[in-house]
Amino acid sequence: MATEPLLRLRDINLHYGSSHVLHDVSLDLGDRPLGILGRNGVGKTSICNAIFGLAPITSGQIMLGDQDLSKLPPEKRAQAGLGYVPQGRRIFRSLTVDEHLRILERKGAAWSIERVYATFPRLKERRRNLGDRLSGGEQQMLAISRALLLNPKVLVLDEPTEGLAPAIVSDVIDLIKQVVSEGTAVLLVEQNLHAALSAVDDVAIVVGGEVIEQVTATTLENDAAMQKKHLGLEAAKH
Amino acid sequence: MTLFFVVTLNGLTLAALYFLAASGFSLIFGLMRTVNMAHGALLLLGGYVGWSVADATGLWALGVLAGGLAAALAGAMVQIGVLGWMQGDELRQTLASIAISIILADLMLWIWGGNTYQVRTPDWLSGGVRLEMLGIGYAKVRISLMIFALVVGVALWLFIQKTRIGAVIRAGVDDQQMLRALGYPINKIFILVFAMGGMLAGMAGVIAGSALSIAPGTDLQFLLSSLVVVIVGGMGSVGGAALGALLIGLAEQYGLAYAPTYAAVVTFVIMVFVLAVRPQGLLGRSEK
Amino acid sequence: MKYLLILIPMALLPLVLNDFWLSQVLTRALIMGTIALSLSFLATYLGVVSFAQVTLAGVAGYAIAYFGPNTVGVGVPLPLIVTIPLALILAMAAGAMMGYIARRSRGIYAIMITLAIGVAFFYFTRQNYVLFNGFTGFSGVIAPALGEGNWGDPKPLYFLSLIVAAICVGLVQGFVRSPLGLAVQAVRDAPGRLLALGIPTTLPIVAAFAFSGLIAGSGGILNVWFQERVSSFSVGFGPIIDILIISVIGGLRHPTGAFVGAIVYVVLDIFAIDLIDRDRFNLLIGIVLLLIIVAAPNGLTQLITDGAKKLRGGAAKSRTT
Repeated sequence: MATEPLLRLRDINLHYGSSHVLHDVSLDLGDRPLGILGRNGVGKTSICNAIFGLAPITSGQIMLGDQDLSKLPPEKRAQAGLGYVPQGRRIFRSLTVDEHLRILERKGAAWSIERVYATFPRLKERRRNLGDRLSGGEQQMLAISRALLLNPKVLVLDEPTEGLAPAIVSDVIDLIKQVVSEGTAVLLVEQNLHAALSAVDDVAIVVGGEVIEQVTATTLENDAAMQKKHLGLEAAKH
Repeated sequence: MTLFFVVTLNGLTLAALYFLAASGFSLIFGLMRTVNMAHGALLLLGGYVGWSVADATGLWALGVLAGGLAAALAGAMVQIGVLGWMQGDELRQTLASIAISIILADLMLWIWGGNTYQVRTPDWLSGGVRLEMLGIGYAKVRISLMIFALVVGVALWLFIQKTRIGAVIRAGVDDQQMLRALGYPINKIFILVFAMGGMLAGMAGVIAGSALSIAPGTDLQFLLSSLVVVIVGGMGSVGGAALGALLIGLAEQYGLAYAPTYAAVVTFVIMVFVLAVRPQGLLGRSEK
Repeated sequence: MKYLLILIPMALLPLVLNDFWLSQVLTRALIMGTIALSLSFLATYLGVVSFAQVTLAGVAGYAIAYFGPNTVGVGVPLPLIVTIPLALILAMAAGAMMGYIARRSRGIYAIMITLAIGVAFFYFTRQNYVLFNGFTGFSGVIAPALGEGNWGDPKPLYFLSLIVAAICVGLVQGFVRSPLGLAVQAVRDAPGRLLALGIPTTLPIVAAFAFSGLIAGSGGILNVWFQERVSSFSVGFGPIIDILIISVIGGLRHPTGAFVGAIVYVVLDIFAIDLIDRDRFNLLIGIVLLLIIVAAPNGLTQLITDGAKKLRGGAAKSRTT
């Protein structure tokens, strides 16, 4: 806990036109993986957009280590060490699996194409298939692999379990744990509470574009009232 | 029957030229959503520079290369100097490219005057060749043009489909933002694509000046043919440009030969028909 | 009300200006402005930049020439009371047809399609002799008689153009408040939503284009009386770009800015000879256009409005301190 946080968001505000979607969002991400939880439309993806510069922030600061990312274009942020697994996966539909990996591979890095194929034998089988010919699970593996090939210091995943079969969800969670164990900081945006809680140590709850609670995963897991109030989850569902 | 063969060959020649012109235009549109209205001006610039170089050195191939490079440079400068600053605002980019085409056309008129130029072809391209199978003779330069267009088309297809840079360009066509979020500087890719589009246009200009001739107005003629070719064939695909060029080139020549009064309308009718049936063009992908 | 502040002084201008200024500057600007108004109308309210407004103006102009007096011996002369409505109806029908063809195209696709239509029409007029008298077109198209002269004389044509321009501005403002006009703006804002609600978008699009044909056609009739001729050159790429330039200078999102743009364009055209070589007018207008697009993408009208606001704001501030 004594280590300096790697990725810091300070008082981020974000507007789409005249609607104010993020209000003074501040987050610290260090060694302990952080989950961002909230219902649909509370601004979780907007936080990702702010981090990657895909939507310009109105005010605030985004720091990666000592480097101020706030004004940099998306490509510079990625080069600085951010890896992005976006919501909906956003696989390039006219590239094959192999091409996805080839355009992102860096020589001599921890993650190589061979390692991706060793981790996901399924992707190797499908390597000549186009992006839009893959199943949801395969697309998700590819989206994560694509980000890992950048060997990021921070990996941001936006709803990586969305629309996946339960068996695949647990594969994804295991992979995230593995990434964490290798020293990559992970920011996991999720709607799926139970998947998120099994992968992260800390949790930030977002309501109406604001971070209203920051607790440990264990605390949230044991607090059914908090789950119900902010995330609209019925305890009975579990 | 002889007339039919000659008209068909003329149509194919025109289609080859249209393809060379439209492929760069389509490439730029596919990636950047910019209708580069200066495309015709780049083509004419290439043609003029090619003529000047070929005239000064007597080397035709050097002229083609120089015309391509000059237009590539001009294209890259247009993107760096003007259009790059308006990224994301396609209408504004389109209007700015109109302004650039007006400026370029007038500068070229200033430098090269209003004359018609024909690039002198080397001996091995001059004269005609007898096509025994069809029982007619045809100009070597025109046959070479068709072969050249075929080679360029295949090379372009291989470049886009089989190389790493080609894959990056395709990824940019699919999802620009995502490509940037993965660390690719899209602006540099845009400049590259603009230079490539310029290169294709410039070479097409020199070749148009060899097989036919070039003069003020050639820019407009090829801009418009490129527009129609990509509307018909579909945006952003090499195959679409080829199919569109074939249809329009042949239709124009058949129209001119068999129904001269309505030649202009034939092209138009094809375009309207395609729009009615497939608004994205014959081989175009529909917008998301 | 504010329009009267402009109209009344403009109605008095013939008292102080000579015929050159009246015809070559003001009348020309009013006519080009009216045609450009039809473009800015589409751009503002339908969100479509059409490159074929000159074509629509040309349809009306050709109709006046074909069904009226000319010196080339082509056409069927009809009484004036038939010719003028007929010309306007043809321009509207052409507009409606164009809107139908481009109904599923937006943004740059619409630009390309309308441009292709415009240029196809240009080539067609060059090749067709029965209706358009080919390359040369029609000459000697004299405006209707008025006393000893005709409506094409400097002062009458100036007043006529002023009135037509004013009516067209009024028509645009009426149209955009009508239910149909509101539907047009709904198509601009959210075409997908309308379709989802089961409201067809074709009718508003076709209607907007037809209405733009009425405006452009009115300008086209005045233009043929002003030039006393109409030919393929009147509908070529040059005039198409001229009208676009005028709309852009005035501001594509400011319909009445078309007249501001037209004045700037015409004045530049006439006085370019004093600034630079006459032959380099295109260079000048190209640079002006580029500067406007780079520095003032919303056109001069917006620049003036913003400037006035800033001045007023500045004045207010200086009073309070």
